[in-house]
Amino acid sequence: MLLSGLEQLNNMLHPSFMVQEKDKIPRIETTPPPANRWTKGLAVEDIPLEIHDLTVAYHHKPVLYGIDLAVPPGKLIGIIGPNGAGKSTLIKAIMGLLPTDSGWVQIFGKNNRKNLKRVGYVPQRESVDWDFPVSVMDVVLMGRYGKLGLFKRPGKEDRDIASACLEKVKMMPYADRQIANLSGGQQQRVFLARALAQESDLYFMDEPFAGVDAATESSIIGLLHELRQKGKTILVVHHDLPTARNYFDMLVLLNMRLVDFGPTEEVFTYEKLQKTYGGRLTILSEVAEAVRQNKE
Amino acid sequence: MSEMIPALDWQAIFVAPWTTDFSIYGWIFLMGFLVCAACGLAGNYLILRRMALVGDAISHSVLPGLAIAFLAANAWTNRQAAGEGIDLAVEPSGHGISYGFAIFMGALIAGVLTTLMIEIIHTRTRIKQDAAIGITFSTLFAFGVVLISVYADKVDLDADCVLHGEIAFVSIQPFFTIGTYQLAPSPVIRMGLVTFLTLGLMVVFYKELLVSSFDPGLASSMGINATFVHYALMCWLSVIVVSAFEAVGAILVIAMLILPGATASMLTTRFPIVLVLSLLHAAASSVLGLHLAIWLNSSAAGCMVVAGAGIFCVSWVFSPSQGILPNWLKRRRNSKCLPSAGIGTETVGES
Amino acid sequence: MKYLRLNLIGWILLLFMAALTPVHAARIGDITEISVWDQTVRFFSFKDPSLRYALTGAILLGLTCGLLGSFLVVRKLALLGDTLSHAVLPGVAAGFLWDMDKNPVAIFIGATVAGLLGSFMVTRITSTTKLKEDTALGMVLACFFGVGICLVTMIQRLPSGNKSGIDKFLFGQAASLGQSDIQLMAVVTLLTFGLVWLFYKELLTVSFDPGFAYSVMIPVAWVHHGFMLLLAFSVVIALQAVGVVLVSAMLITPAATAYLMTDRLHRMLLFACLTGMLAGIMGAFFSFLGHQLPTGPFMVLSAAVLFAVAFFFAPSHGVVIKWWTRRSRSGRVRRENTLKAVFHVLEQEKFRQEGVTLVELAELRRQTLDGTEASCLELVRLGYGTMPPGEKAFYLTPKGMRRAQTIVRNHRLWELYLTDAANYSPDHVHDDAEEIEHILGEDLVRQLERQLNFADRDPHGKPIPSAEEIISAHGTVQSSPPTATGYRKPS
Repeated sequence: MLLSGLEQLNNMLHPSFMVQEKDKIPRIETTPPPANRWTKGLAVEDIPLEIHDLTVAYHHKPVLYGIDLAVPPGKLIGIIGPNGAGKSTLIKAIMGLLPTDSGWVQIFGKNNRKNLKRVGYVPQRESVDWDFPVSVMDVVLMGRYGKLGLFKRPGKEDRDIASACLEKVKMMPYADRQIANLSGGQQQRVFLARALAQESDLYFMDEPFAGVDAATESSIIGLLHELRQKGKTILVVHHDLPTARNYFDMLVLLNMRLVDFGPTEEVFTYEKLQKTYGGRLTILSEVAEAVRQNKE
Repeated sequence: MSEMIPALDWQAIFVAPWTTDFSIYGWIFLMGFLVCAACGLAGNYLILRRMALVGDAISHSVLPGLAIAFLAANAWTNRQAAGEGIDLAVEPSGHGISYGFAIFMGALIAGVLTTLMIEIIHTRTRIKQDAAIGITFSTLFAFGVVLISVYADKVDLDADCVLHGEIAFVSIQPFFTIGTYQLAPSPVIRMGLVTFLTLGLMVVFYKELLVSSFDPGLASSMGINATFVHYALMCWLSVIVVSAFEAVGAILVIAMLILPGATASMLTTRFPIVLVLSLLHAAASSVLGLHLAIWLNSSAAGCMVVAGAGIFCVSWVFSPSQGILPNWLKRRRNSKCLPSAGIGTETVGES
Repeated sequence: MKYLRLNLIGWILLLFMAALTPVHAARIGDITEISVWDQTVRFFSFKDPSLRYALTGAILLGLTCGLLGSFLVVRKLALLGDTLSHAVLPGVAAGFLWDMDKNPVAIFIGATVAGLLGSFMVTRITSTTKLKEDTALGMVLACFFGVGICLVTMIQRLPSGNKSGIDKFLFGQAASLGQSDIQLMAVVTLLTFGLVWLFYKELLTVSFDPGFAYSVMIPVAWVHHGFMLLLAFSVVIALQAVGVVLVSAMLITPAATAYLMTDRLHRMLLFACLTGMLAGIMGAFFSFLGHQLPTGPFMVLSAAVLFAVAFFFAPSHGVVIKWWTRRSRSGRVRRENTLKAVFHVLEQEKFRQEGVTLVELAELRRQTLDGTEASCLELVRLGYGTMPPGEKAFYLTPKGMRRAQTIVRNHRLWELYLTDAANYSPDHVHDDAEEIEHILGEDLVRQLERQLNFADRDPHGKPIPSAEEIISAHGTVQSSPPTATGYRKPS
């Protein structure tokens, strides 16, 4: 009684309080395939990532709903979808950085928050203040802190590993430079080196190619292929459709719900992309062309 | 500790001020309402523009402006008096124009100086805006306190008054007279003028203020100079803060600025209604606060802030859209999942 | 090493400025009987016990506030520090009411509880309503302070007339520090330094990138709340000396000064502690000179003076230094462009002429004749050329010829690089090359040469002077530094 009275008052004050059409969850007329399609026959502790019924909401607006996913090891996987589809949210929720409303996440068979030591993370470049008074080497050394625990300081071995990672991304000459004086591509490479220093088996990268020059982009892809050769699993949030087709072995199509997940050739079809982008596929012609070429 | 809280004498606290003692308390109530109203209305723009702490900075940094203005006015009055052969000790000349004018100029200078200093610090070096604000206002405030401590005899302020003002003095100030007709104490007239001007400016420039607060880029493309609006708003804010200074001091002004708007924005999303609710909040908090001060024999400004905070907490708990209680009840009522997303409409049929 | 030297110069400058200020101290208050010098000696000689406590207290609070304030500045939490500092007032008043007297422990506990409650409320307000963080901070700051003022004025108006020195807590009075206060301050300072040293890398990572810190298993929430607790402690111990109103300045201003002086966090912490200490000492000293004026404002003003010095003169971040560097660089650019223009004119004539007329030069550089003459005079002054009187012409000296060749070589190599390696079309290259070549260093030029396989023509077909040509300009021999490149000097 009190509640309905308050609601009435509220409706007077908030004409826009009623749920908008656009806030409702989009209908998807296909049934997503069973989650374990690509991980049949694998032991639980060999599956890098398994997600069941993951739902994340922010102030009562759903951002991810009912995600079911199981990822096979040793693959380079792209996560694509329109803006606001929840791609970054998915990564953060998997790592336990955001609270979830339902569902669970397992990393190599164990609860995600407890098994983070097997995960390497490359966050978005904007997540950090680049005026912070640290050098490039200091940032890469942070990747070793997980292995060190609370009280130990980085030793010679850690420094050597950090230097090796900097060499891999060709940033060793900048090791002593403060991070403000780097270009976008160089900053991204520093973040990559830090993730490499973590020496993990499962990597998450949030838009590593955003705002990066062509040379850096190709060297990052080279590095990712190298990691994959070694049997690591890598999930990359990616924003550019045409390159997604060429870079990744498998794709996750995400638009608040999981539209599909599978090998790129199977999943990168016109119909599935249209369902993901909800008819807002503005580079339709390029993608259609690419898909047609793929079929030939 | 029990000796601190006096007995709750209903008659003395709630009735007497409006009836028998009205000649004393009447002006105090009016002044309190005017201060809260002016601050509350202008403060809405601070909240919109996410500049609550720049407002805090201005409220601190008016102090040196006032102190210098007082010193200057003092020197000017002395020179005038000396020029005319008046001995100030015997025949105190009315401060009149120079006093009010000095306050106004002091406020303007302080406002502009603060905004300039903050801009210079955070644009010319890598220091971020939050640290720039902190450095600026604390330095200027410290400077002001040093001035009033060192020149205590020449400046009409004392340190405690700076912190919380003394609104009770309003009723004993000399009245503003037109001809032989005595209107009201000068501070009340000044504050009334400021409040009405605030209301007037907000009505006249409603569109410009709204657009430049929401989207400075759009405002510029429409021919509204967003930078000018920013500086003008800061200057006007300084004027309000300085006028309210006598009543509430330097630091509590920020509460008067933010509380009404914050409370109102929790109850509605339509801006005109927000403004109306801010006025209501201002009235309620000033009246309740003064009664509280009478009861506890405490600083009026502090009690007005406590009353305002109390009203905010009530609306925080009970607000239909954002309140803690309704949300908790709603969550209990729904069995699973998200209340406002219309879940039941979609038909994905997996196991 | 060079950096350390620059910083030392910066520090000597700061100390010099600080030493000048006692000269102004004489104008504060009415110092009649005792001279300033005697007062100074008395203050620093540690004989007077209350002055001893005042000095020690100032040092301790400067150290702690500087250390923790640095993290506030790099994490952009300056206003959280401000809110915390104001929110402790009701706790202080409550602590007073406990004993109706100044009880350091009660005040400490009360203030810490109030401060933590305040920061808790800020997070609750931002997470449960749509109010933004700055609004929440401002509200908590002012409302808690308002409650505090209520309590303070009630205490001050008590009929028992027991003021117990609570007014000292508003603007601070270092002289009222007693032995128990100093003991408490020392404990907190030791605790703060110990914890920061022990958990330095955790604090660093959480401050820089909390998301990543979480992914390397650092307990982010613990670190953050532990830091807030330490911050509350440091605010409380600074209260008596600096006062509630101005404590946040002692947190922010020395740290901001250090932020401008250095590029590494561990050095920044050191500088912030030193600056905080210096500001504390100066503040206590000035308030003592001024016959017990409140200490807080003087400490803040001292910190502000130090900040101003760093603002203008900090190596590489100070405003004046940046202007100076830019100015000297634009001067160097101007000189190099003139030399290059001279070389171009000579090259067009296939080096048959010895000199260049000023008119030709002005035309090429699109300058006025006077401007060209001024640039040439500059070069003459530096020994790169001569301008015989009567002739309006400019002749290069051997030194000038070598310099011009080096500049042109760098420019053309860069153009080649931009065209070949970076895919610029030849007609776009010239503008970019103008800017960048002055910034190229020797090492980068060597690298470029190796990369371009020691090409001898630029994209426009002009020859790139080789290093040997430069060496052998006008018959003079110059030995190249042994580590520079793979070149062997032609013997």
